[in-house]
Order: sequence, then structure tokens, then C-alpha cells
Amino acid sequence: MAKSNEFDVIIIGGGITGAGTARDCAMRGLKVLLIERHDIATGASGRNHGLLHSGARYAVTDQESATECIEENMILRRIASHCVDETDGFFITLPEDDLDYQAKFVESCRSAGIRADIIDPEEARRLEPSVNPDIIGAVRVPDGSVDPFRLCAANMLDAKLHGAKVLVHTEVTEILKEGDRVLGVRTLDHVTGEKSEWYAPVTINAGGIWGHGIAEMAGVQVGMFPAKGALLIFAHRVNNIVINRCRKPANADILVPGDTVCIIGTTSTRVPYEECDNMKVTPEEVDLLLTEGAKLAPALATTRILRAYAGVRPLVSADNDPTGRNISRGIVCLDHEERDGLKGFITITGGKLMTYRLMAEKATDVACRKLGVDRHCATALTPLPGSELGGFEETIKKIWTMPATTYQKATAFRTGSSAKDIEKGVGLVCECEEVSSGEVDYAIRNLEVHSLTDLRRRTRVGMGTCQGELCACRAAGMLAASHGCAERARKDMREFMNERWKGSRPIAWGDTLRECEFTNWIYNHVLGL
Amino acid sequence: MKFQTIIVGGGLAGLTAGLALQKKGISCAIISSGENALHFSSGTFSGDCPEETVRLFEEAGIVLKGDPAKDSWRLTPSGSMQKVRLAFEDVTLYPSEKINATNVLIANPEGFIDFPTAFIADGISQQGIPCKVKSFSLPCLKLLRESPSEMRSVGIAKKLDGCIEEVAECIKGLLDGEDLVILPQVFGLASPEPVRALRAAIPAEINFIGTMPPSVPGIRVQLQLKKAFERAGGTFLMGDTAIMAEIADGTVRFIRTKNLDSHILSADNYILASGTFFSKGLTSSMQKISEPLFGLDVECPEERTEWYSEDFFAPQPYMAAGVKTDKDLHPLRDGQPISNLYAAGSILAGKKNAGMALTSTFKVVKKIAL
Repeated sequence: MAKSNEFDVIIIGGGITGAGTARDCAMRGLKVLLIERHDIATGASGRNHGLLHSGARYAVTDQESATECIEENMILRRIASHCVDETDGFFITLPEDDLDYQAKFVESCRSAGIRADIIDPEEARRLEPSVNPDIIGAVRVPDGSVDPFRLCAANMLDAKLHGAKVLVHTEVTEILKEGDRVLGVRTLDHVTGEKSEWYAPVTINAGGIWGHGIAEMAGVQVGMFPAKGALLIFAHRVNNIVINRCRKPANADILVPGDTVCIIGTTSTRVPYEECDNMKVTPEEVDLLLTEGAKLAPALATTRILRAYAGVRPLVSADNDPTGRNISRGIVCLDHEERDGLKGFITITGGKLMTYRLMAEKATDVACRKLGVDRHCATALTPLPGSELGGFEETIKKIWTMPATTYQKATAFRTGSSAKDIEKGVGLVCECEEVSSGEVDYAIRNLEVHSLTDLRRRTRVGMGTCQGELCACRAAGMLAASHGCAERARKDMREFMNERWKGSRPIAWGDTLRECEFTNWIYNHVLGL
Repeated sequence: MKFQTIIVGGGLAGLTAGLALQKKGISCAIISSGENALHFSSGTFSGDCPEETVRLFEEAGIVLKGDPAKDSWRLTPSGSMQKVRLAFEDVTLYPSEKINATNVLIANPEGFIDFPTAFIADGISQQGIPCKVKSFSLPCLKLLRESPSEMRSVGIAKKLDGCIEEVAECIKGLLDGEDLVILPQVFGLASPEPVRALRAAIPAEINFIGTMPPSVPGIRVQLQLKKAFERAGGTFLMGDTAIMAEIADGTVRFIRTKNLDSHILSADNYILASGTFFSKGLTSSMQKISEPLFGLDVECPEERTEWYSEDFFAPQPYMAAGVKTDKDLHPLRDGQPISNLYAAGSILAGKKNAGMALTSTFKVVKKIAL
């Protein structure tokens, strides 16, 4: 019998790529260990637009990426229906843009297999009243929005259901090697301080931008290109249809509705690798996002902003373009045995949030080949946990006989069919997002929740208008009771409030500042922290 | 409409000023939009408080514990001990950084998550005092529990205030030799009687500790001050907002409000006690922090990036922003004082606490009642 620290495959990185790869490997019968330094979806997986690309954005410049996007787009609608909002998207032409680009755009979309319908500006304004009324052209494409946290959690949960072991808050400190072969990894558990060794014939580097450092630890080079993208979240869902600019991709030209909010982004700036752990949004980026955003939907200029945040795209360097815009967003799957003569080591990187499944498939194919396993990928056909009962309305009808309450609906919207396993619970933890104490309990028990920030990524606690003002303390109390450690929960609450403040600070004026002041009073004066 | 003094703001500073002036025979109107910091009070005042506070509040039926000139300690909902000067009668004050008990029971209504019992219990245990947490349930809370958004401080207080005897019996049943019972501040919404009745019925000290907002004792005290002000002959314009002020030759001539749009309000003196950002005494935009009613000079860092500290729990420069005044608390506008306008409370620039709000208020009262 294999020892408890021996696996078929070790996956480093609990972003969407790692979680997806863990699911694919586990579904193909491999014994899987997934290791994440922080929490799932902490890096770029949780710091993006949440855009379910149709591929249209890349159609003119990168047909290969565009084709991948539309294929994966259609797959995610099926297997992750509880994470996807089928909004459709517009590519609008403003008076200052070249309307001739539209024809080329539509033709490129169609050749990549993306439905693209030119619609009358009048009709576009009717379908999406928030759109800039000055538009001179609009194309409708099958964009959508996808909740990256939910998608990550569902992949991780399914990997576990297929036998995978998941270690969060555990950092790989060394790649164990013997000659030209990777044998496994040494880790440090950040919660307990415990050091451990894990062994597997195949190790997959799915560390996103941090994959650069992981590859270095293994003694190989993957030339990563850290490209920072800043985004703003608004407190209302201003638009129901994704709005893009119909021109060559540029700054702040996508507005995505998601749940109760909408998100404008992004910028693209090359940043030093050393700074990837602590991205800050500058006042200049805020100005740019607001100015450009208001061109897509003028209401943004007067809508309250909730947060500013930034992620780092894990692009792989191909040329010397300083902006990173011209680098292919394509998938990079490196078998380091072929490339560098290092056995048992694979890097999967590049790509996009919504092509994660294909990335996972490619990496798992390589791993299976190395292990001599002949099982085919089934992730494109098998729904994720939460999506088994079909869409939102069907799911609700199948779970509750009585008409669902608003918070039950909110729970079902977030967790899909898993809502049936969630106790009713007394009390609402988060009023902004209607998260019940039952849903918080469920997440603490089933979804690897070690801190308030973990809980936020699973349930949206603290993601709403008040940014944790009331719910952080309530949830911290529940975590303290469940983990039996008040001191840790109190420290955690301080960290959580600081993490929320980091996102509010760049945009703290007007009503946002009022709310920040109120929150400060509660935590410093009423609670006496 | 003409008054001797018009006060903009119905929070701690505005109500205290109004009550004190009215007691001295000066007719006042208070314009209150309804939102103020008393509604999420911790039930305690920190910072140097003027001696007059205790007497004036007593006349409004509000018992303040503690010494206005000497620090006491309160047990906070996060389990820590914090220095304060005065407290509403609900709260137990301690002479040192240690609570006075040998065995503690924390009792909380079942399903009430706005009271972090685990933190309080941990704080007490760290003081080396044994402590148990128990929850209690009463038939009158059943309906509240069925609707997940109803289990909040005020909703619970409305129910429990009506059945104090049952609550007392229930808590007595939980007691097992403890000499201190800690309860959340969910009693005494309309009057302090339920708090007193519970204390009288239970054979142990009771310390009522703050919950997440709204603050039940804070709402009660605000109401008591308002009633006392009205009993003394004052005019309280509830739910109204001052929207425009006419200033000429360095004096305020009149004020217009949202509800009384065809009338102007004028007075010999005006007090600006409109608070900070939360109550809209100050407003902020991407470019600057301003005082919206009179367009007063504001003291705050020039650049937006300087308004904040990185650490959420460190002093925040924006929270010290406020109007500039001369030594007599006349606010400045374009560098010149406005002779019949005074500023009191947290709208003043600098460190803010109840003591500072009350000190400035009594100073203004003395100037006006000279």
C-alpha cells in the first residue's frame, strides 16, 4: 500500500488552473495532492473581471485564443451553470472610434465560430439602457460573466469528491529532486508551522505568475511576464449586458455585470516579479478607469465605487512589447522533460480564467502519458457540484416546494444545487449579499475555510456595499466558535478589515468614505479592537 | 420663523447645546436629519468631559456613571478593556483594567449573532476568571427567529422589554453561582426601566455590553435628550435638513431647510453641530473635503492620498478633518470668522470623542448665554 505522503501527481497552486487540473486528474483516477500557499483563488484567479469571454475580444488579433474561448464558453455554460450568468455582450463603436473596424471584427468573430450580430444602435440602447447613448454601432456576441471564486470552489470540491487531498495555507518551500528527476516537494503549513515532504512521480506547476518562482526552485526557467491589471467594482449592477469597445484591445474597455455589482477594467502595466505579492492601485489608474469607464456607461461617473483591486496576468514572454497587450493569451503547457531534460515536472500557464478547463486537460494529458494511464478527459461533459440540477430556476424548483425566500434564492444562486444541503440557520450574517448563518456554516464545514477572507471567497460575506462593516464581526464570532480559538478569530478579523480597507482606500470619497468612517467607529470604538 | 438660537444637528452636541440653552431661557430650534452617532454609541463617553454633563443629563432622566475627570474601564464586545470617563447606566465601569467578578455567565438570546460572545468569554478567561457562555430562548422571540433579518438589537429589545419578568426567571435558571452576568444591550429601548427591573430581579451584578449597531441605549438616550429639550420649550425639527445658508457681512442671516422650503429660519446665533461624514456635516469628493452648508474653511490634508493611513486601525487623517475656527469657536470662511455662528462637536478639526464634543458644546453654550 502506498504511504500517506505518496501520490500520483502533486499540483502546486490553488488558482483556477490548479483546482481544474486537480479535478481532471482525480476524475481520471489519479491520486492527487493539491497544494496552495494561501487560499484558493487568491491570485489572478480572484482578481479579474469575471468575464466569460466569447472570444470576440481576441478575434481580430489572435484567432487561436478566440476559438479556444468560444469552445470553453459553451462548455462552462453546461458544466458550471451556477457560476455563469448568460448576459451576452456588446461591442460598441463610439463617435471617436473607427466604424470600419466593425466589419473586420464581425468577420473575424465568425471565422473563429463566434456568433456576432450587428444590431442597430437604437436597439442596443433599448436592450441595455446604461450604454453610452452616443454609440454609432453595436455588435452582439455571446459574452457572459462567471464567478471565479465559485468556479474555483466547485472544482476543488469535485476534486475532493473524487479523492483528491487539498492543502491550503501550505507553501512549497523546496522541490525535491534526484538527479534529473523531480521526486516531490517539501512544504510549510502556515497555520500549524509543520514541515512535510510529499512524493509523486509527476509534479505540476500551476502557480500562475508565481509559477516563475516555482520553476526556478525546480532549476528550470519559464520567462514570465508579470502584467498588472487594475479594476474597479461599482456598488450597483449598472449594466446587464457586458459592454466592450469595438476597437483594438486597450485600457478600461470592458464593463462586466456580476452578481450585484459591475466591474470596469483593466489597465496593463509591466511590474517587477518581486512586487506581484502586493499590488496597489494608483490614483492615476483610478482616474483612467473612471474616465474610460464612463465612455461605456455614463452612469458610472455618478455610481458609488466599492473597491479598487489589481491582479497579475501570468503571461509568458514572447517578444519585447513593454505593455504585454500583444503577447498571446494562449495556453502554455511545458513538459520540462522534453524542454529541459527534467523528468516528472510540468508547467501549465498562460491562458485565461475561462480556458482553465482546457489548460487542465492539456496538463492532465501530459501527466497521464508520463504515468502510462490511458483515461480520457471527461470534464467537458460532467457538471460541477452545484450545477447538477440545471439552471438557477430549475434548481430552486427542485429543492424547495414552497416559494423560495430572497435569501434562499441568493444561496441557490451562489451554491446551485448544493443549497439543498444547507441548513436554514438562524440569522442573516451579511445583509448586503443575503448570506445566512446556514450558508456560512456549510462553507466552514465543507469548503476549506480557515479565515474570514477564505469565507468571503466562498460566500460573498463582506463583498457587498458595506464591505464587511457588520458581517465581519458576525462571521468572526461564528469562526471563533467553530474553530474554538477566539484569539485567532480576532486577529483574523483585524486582517480582514485591513484587506477590505486596502480595496476601499484608493476610491474612498463620497459615500464610500462615509461608510469607511462608520466601519471605523464600529471596530475601533464600539467593539474596542 | 425666528429663534434665539438655531442648531444644525440633533446628535450629542446639538441636543446637549439645545437643552442647556433652553434651560437658561434661550429659545432654540434643532434641525435634525435623524442620523447621528448616538445611534451606534458604545454606551460610554471617553475623553475629558465637562462637570456640567452629569447634572444636565440627570435633568433629562439620564443616569451617567463614572467620574467626568477620571478614567474608568469598560469591558468591550471584543473582550478587551478600554478607558472611558462616563457610561450610561446599562454599563458596568471598573476602577482598573480588570473586571470585578469571581465567576461570570455570558447569556445571549439564541440566534443573536450581533454579540460576539466568544470574544468576550476569551477576554474574561485571559483575566483568569472562569466564564461560561449560555444562550436563552423565550417564546416572544420565536417569530423574530423565523425571519433571518429580524434578529437585531432593536427588534429583540422591543420584544424583551415587554417580558422582563420572564427574562429574569430564564436567566436565574441559567445561573450557577456566578456573581456577574453579561448580557447584550438589548434592553431598555424606550426607557431605562427594563434595565433597572432586570438588575433588581437577579441576584448577581449585570453588565450590559454593546452590540453591533443600532445601539439600544444610544437610541434611548437620544430620545430622552430630545424629549427633555422639547419639555423645556425647544423646537425639534425632526427629519429635516438644512440645505442653504445666507451669509452677509460676516454674519449668518437665515437658513433654509428641505421641508420648510417657503419659510426661512433666522436667529441671533447659530450652532453648527452637524457631525462628520456619516451625518453629512462634512462631504468629500475625489478632489476635496468640504463643509457643505456654510462653505466653511476645512482643515485637512491637501492631497487625497494623504487622507488615509494604510492600517485601518491606525488614526486616519480624514477622520480628524473638520472646520477651522477662531479661539471662540466661530468658524472661518475664506479666513474670516462668522460672528454669530459657532461650531461644536465632531465637526471641529482634530481628535474626536464624546469628551471633546461635550467640552466644545458647553463652551459655545457659555458664549451664547453670556
